[in-house]
Amino acid sequence: MGNLREEKMTKGILLFAFNTDKVDYFRMAVHTAKRAKHFLNLPVTVITDDSTDIEKYNFTFDNVIIKPADKSNTKDLDIWINKGRYQAYDLTPYDETLLIDTDYLINSDTLLKVFDLYDDFMCHNNTSYLMIPNAEQEKLNTNSFNTLWATVIAFKKTQKTKMIFECMRMVQENYEHYLNLYNLLGLSFRNDYALTIAHRIVNGQTEDTRDYIPWNLVHIGNNTIAYNDNDSLLNTSYTIEYDHWHNGKIRKEYGIVTDTDFHMLNKTNYMELINE
Amino acid sequence: MDTKQLISEAKMRFNHNSAKSYLKDKYDSKLSVATQGGLWKATPTLIAVLSAYDEESIVLIDEYNNPILVNRLALLTIIKETYKTVMDAWATEWAILEKKR
Repeated sequence: MGNLREEKMTKGILLFAFNTDKVDYFRMAVHTAKRAKHFLNLPVTVITDDSTDIEKYNFTFDNVIIKPADKSNTKDLDIWINKGRYQAYDLTPYDETLLIDTDYLINSDTLLKVFDLYDDFMCHNNTSYLMIPNAEQEKLNTNSFNTLWATVIAFKKTQKTKMIFECMRMVQENYEHYLNLYNLLGLSFRNDYALTIAHRIVNGQTEDTRDYIPWNLVHIGNNTIAYNDNDSLLNTSYTIEYDHWHNGKIRKEYGIVTDTDFHMLNKTNYMELINE
Repeated sequence: MDTKQLISEAKMRFNHNSAKSYLKDKYDSKLSVATQGGLWKATPTLIAVLSAYDEESIVLIDEYNNPILVNRLALLTIIKETYKTVMDAWATEWAILEKKR
């Protein structure tokens, strides 16, 4: 007779939030955590470094993990602390984890569906930009395959996912080599690239479409501005403004978005949204 | 605010193509159904195929291209319900956005 008592798998959200001089990522993490708790009803663990004055944010995470920040990466001449994401596998306290970027704005319970859909790993392979229909998919380089996105990663602790994260570490530690090998765009280390390369390596340089979230990751681009439609912390309605260049002139356009999760590429706009 | 900016703001228009694209993204995510060991997308085609057979069980190719033996009526019920719920919500939101100028 088998064991009738099944142990419940723990589920939770993992955020990395290392503040820089210009961007308060921990503030973003607090905002994301509040919304995650409301819309997804999941515990939230944050990983940060000891320079973060956690008390001042007046919010209690379910877990706070302190790790040293790796400040060796730069973007637009500023420090960009995005390295070390591969540690998610070892650091997560959950059996099933949603690893989410702090600039991902949760506006619905859509992400919960991933737990029903995946085997042990899922991330986005397709994106769309609000206000820019038919935007091209980003590729590793002009002649290469589509980039995977590390913005949202769902994973269970299995041998395969362990290999993916270990491979991400290998790519990070030998980034110059992979930069040349894949002729990657830009010089900054990107977790999206590390994930794309790692996922390919682990799958024998083939695509495993079972690992792709079957809907698009929605971006709000740098030339697009989102405004809250109301003052509520849990607002889910936004007016999106976009400067559409047409025949050398700017044509202002707008759209309205409700109950849809999206990734904010414009960090300044995101800080304005969450501080309103 | 200068005159150019004022004119620009006044001429601001609702982008209906973007709205269509956004709604497709939003509601596509709600059409996926994981059941009976496969991943399915609630589409008219799937509903038609499930409705066309009489057998209790049939084999269908799921979204991951795996052949799955399914209980036809059970899957049909879920897919029809999902499709109707999502399409109703999609149409309602589109009706609101369509009127924007």
